[in-house]
Order: sequence, then C-alpha cells, then structure tokens
Amino acid sequence: MAFAISALSIFGLVIVLMAAYGYRISAKTAEDYMLGGRTIGVVVMFFFVLFAISSAWTFYGFPGLLYTQGPGYVMFIWGSVAGFAGLYMFLGPRLWALAKINRFLSPVEVLAERYRSPLLRLVLSLSILAFIVPYVGIQPLGVGAGFEALTGLPAIWGALYTTVILIVLVILGGMRIVAWVNIFLGVVYMTALLGSLAWAVQVLFPDAGLVEAASVLAQERPAMLSSPGPTGQYTPVVLGGTFIVGILAFSWPHVAIGCMTARDKSLFKWFPMLIFIFGGLFFYIIPFIWGSLVAPAAMPVAELEALAAENGVSLQTEADRVVQTIITRSLPQWFGVFVLLGVIAAAVSTAAVQLMTSSVIVSRDVIQGIFVPNARDEQITRWARIAVVAIVVLSLIVSFLYQGAMALYLTDVSVPGFAQWAPALVGGLLWKRGTKQGAIAGTITGVVYLVLSLLVVVDGERILVVGHPVIASLLANTIVYVVVSLVTPRPDEETETVFFDEVDAYLAAESGSR
Amino acid sequence: MKEMVRHTAGRVYLVLLLVSIVGFIVFLASGGTDAPEHGEAFLLFGWMTMPLVSGVAFVIFWLISYLIYFFFFWPYR
Repeated sequence: MAFAISALSIFGLVIVLMAAYGYRISAKTAEDYMLGGRTIGVVVMFFFVLFAISSAWTFYGFPGLLYTQGPGYVMFIWGSVAGFAGLYMFLGPRLWALAKINRFLSPVEVLAERYRSPLLRLVLSLSILAFIVPYVGIQPLGVGAGFEALTGLPAIWGALYTTVILIVLVILGGMRIVAWVNIFLGVVYMTALLGSLAWAVQVLFPDAGLVEAASVLAQERPAMLSSPGPTGQYTPVVLGGTFIVGILAFSWPHVAIGCMTARDKSLFKWFPMLIFIFGGLFFYIIPFIWGSLVAPAAMPVAELEALAAENGVSLQTEADRVVQTIITRSLPQWFGVFVLLGVIAAAVSTAAVQLMTSSVIVSRDVIQGIFVPNARDEQITRWARIAVVAIVVLSLIVSFLYQGAMALYLTDVSVPGFAQWAPALVGGLLWKRGTKQGAIAGTITGVVYLVLSLLVVVDGERILVVGHPVIASLLANTIVYVVVSLVTPRPDEETETVFFDEVDAYLAAESGSR
Repeated sequence: MKEMVRHTAGRVYLVLLLVSIVGFIVFLASGGTDAPEHGEAFLLFGWMTMPLVSGVAFVIFWLISYLIYFFFFWPYR
C-alpha cells in the first residue's frame, strides 16, 4: 500500500510540475492557452491525438466488452482508424487553414462564421457539450474501478486523485502542455499496456503463449473466437453498423480541434501514416488481445460472474476491470501499481483534451460568442479556466448518477452525439451550397431524434433505434441539412470567397502546389 | 478533399477507399468473420481470429493507398 501511494504521489507530482512549467512559459494569450499557439508538430500531435482517443476505455471498457461478447466489437476500432485518418486527410487541411487565416479558436466558431449564425453557434455548442461532458466524468470513474481492484480501497479515492491532477493540468497548462504531457502519459500508458500483456502471457500461458490461450478458448469457450460471439450479439448487420459507427470518429470534437493546433500543413501529409501503422496495426491490437484472448482464457466467465456477485455489480461492470483483476492476481504487486499508473495516464490524457475542448467552447463560443462579444483575451482565458472546474464537477455528478458499462456509453451515447455536428461540419467545409437554415434544422433534428431514441423505451426495446442509435438520427440530420439548404437562399458571395476561394488559394500557396 | 477531386489520381484514391469500405461492410454482412456452421473458427498463426485478420488487411490496404497517393500525387507539398 505504501508503495502504491508513493508511486501515485510521484506520478501526480510530475504532471503538476509539467503543468506549472507550461504555465510559466506560456504566452498568456487565448490563442496560446486554447490552441497551443498553433505550434504543434507531427510527433507531439501524434501523441496528443492518439492518447486523447485512448482513454481508460481502451484498457477497461474495450477489453471488457470483448470479454463478454466476443471479438466482433473490434470493428469499431477498424472504423475509427479510417475515421481518424480521414479527418486528417480530407477535412484537416481546410479546417486548419480556415482557422489560421481568420484566427478562429474553436471548430464551432469556424462553423458559426461559415454559416454566419450565432444561433447555430449556440446549438452546436450545447449539443457538443451535452455529449462530451458525461464522457469526461467516465474517465476518473474508470480509474476508480481499477484503483479499487488493485488496492481494495473505495473507487472514489481513485476518482478524486485523477480529478485533481486533471484540473491542475488543464487550468495551468492549457492546450500546449496538455499535448506535451500526453507524450509522458502515452509512454507510461503504452509501456503498461504492452508490458502487462507480454508478462501476463508469459506467466499464464508459458508453453505456447497466445496459441495456447486460443486453444484453451477453442476447448472451453469456442464462440469467443469468431463472430457473432458467445451472446450472439455481433450478427453481420451489427458488425457492419459497429464499423460505420467507428468511421464517425472523424467528428469527435476533441479530435477535430487538434487539426487547428497544427504548426503547418505538412503535418496532414505525415500524420495518417502514424495512425495506420502505430494506431491500427499495433496499439489497438494490444487491448484486443487482452480482451478477446488472454483474459477469457485466463479467467473463465463463471469465475468472473461469481466475483461480480460477490462485489454486488453486474457482469459487464466486473468485466470492465477484468484486465486489472488478472494483473493483480498473476503479476507482482508493484507491476499492478505501474499498470494503474498507465490507466490513470490514459484517463488523464483523454479527459484533459476533452476538458480543454469543452472549456474553449464554453468560453469562446457560449460566453464570448453569445453574451460578451467584446471580451478581452485575458477574460476569455479566465472563463475557460473557470469552466474547467465547473465541467469536471458537472461531469462527475452526471457520470456517477448514470453509471453504466463504459464501452457501451462511448459507442451508444457519446459517438452518436458527437456525430450530430458532422453534416454541418463536412458541408460547411466542402459544400458551398450548405446554408445556416440547413445546418440549424439538421443539427436540431438529429439531436432531438437521438435523445428521443435513447429515452423512448417500449417493452424493454428502444423502438426508435434502427440498428444503432447513430444511424437513424444521423440520416435524418443529413437529409434535413441537404433539403433545407437546397430550398433556402445560397450563402452570399463573400462567404464563398472567404471560406472556399481564399482557403484554396492559401493551401496552394502556403506550401506550393503541383 | 476538394483538391483530391480535381485530379485523376485523387479521384482514383477516393474511389478506392470508398470501395474498400463498401467491400468490408459486404464482407461483414455476408458472415465473413463467422465460424463455419459445423467447423472450427479460422485462426491465422494459431491465434489471430478472423475479425482481427480482416481488420488488419483493411488497414494495410488504406496504408498502401495513402502512401502511394500522398507521397506521389498529393497536390500540396
């Protein structure tokens, strides 16, 4: 216990010191605080984005769902890899150029100015905040579960520890230090994830490693080795739907804002390579092996069910921490502490970027954009910092009151919610004919449909959900956006000039075009 | 993306990626990752399940397409 507390203290201290250093060297401008002064290069960006999207979910929720439902859920990862790469290949350069030319500080601001609509700014801000805020709170609670599995202490202590680190990091450091700290956090996280897998396989399956684990499953739980999985959940239709939901990762606001922090356009040429090679072909395969092979072969589902009953939680909740449980049981205690640090690193790296994004939207888009248009730089920055604390408290309350399976919260609530600004985003950047009436009507339609589809339950069935919560809501959103845009007057010439012609010319001239 | 649709290589690139997405969904919808009805699940190297193998193949296809387009044809340097 003393070792665990010492390690957690040193780890927390390192992050706090890095945040303090970031505060000392920062330019104290809103642009510096919110977008790191637009100076993020490709390596820092890679750690920034990869670990912004690799949360406690990657270590707990993802393997947890694989453990209970088989390998089909991995289709979300393949879709996400395409979605993230697509964001940087297709939309990133234009979003970056627009923001840089016009000094925009948030992606919502880009769209509000593109459509020339304060109302759209409010609608997009509120809808993004509504879906991102609960997800922030899931991270500390996820750490709490691992903390409890390792130390036996109540989960709330792990959640509080993570929350304090998070607040200090974001308030002091701003976007630049959040990005830089993600390198440190990413290294800790990756070492813990890969190290734990390699060591656990060596200890648990000493004769033939992963082949031995697969043969154990083939004998005892063969449905784990293919779709639709042991519960029959991942039918061909669900597999395809999960893959499509993954592709929508391009619309995650805390990832999209990363494009605006880029130092120059060459980043968009190199970045997808890191996503494909390091993300798709290496990093995400580690938790997949943990959840679909090693954990189910090492710990039979009956044993986990008994543990869940003992702890008074559902099987899925217990499965969310099965990796930590196996590590605690089979590896030395000091390594279990290191793995917990890795999970905290994952949680902090994601929640910090989400918090930064949320606070930028609150400060720049809601307060300044709607109520105090003439606010000064230092006022915007101060509001953003105050918003950090408010968002953390709110998110923890919401997440605590509505605790559910971590993986399903991401795919069933957050991702469909994030996707509702996708038609306005894609149309705003690529389609000259898109209008503010179309963007407002489409977004409201999508959000209202999504909320209704999640809330309306008849005989235990969500009757408005077609396959997955995102499908019907996004389809309705897109159709309304396109139809209303076509029947309303096209945007004026100045909008076309500023948001299309000038951007094309800038992108061609800025780095030379062939 | 607008710069891609303005030249042939870009259009080919976009079509290839779109076809790969549609193809992957068709593969999934046709039960490509399911085990044979009365047989054992497919395992590459004794442990790589079909959902993993098919996804890796999909990512490699995107990687190769991206490398060729962005390093030889992308209109911006």
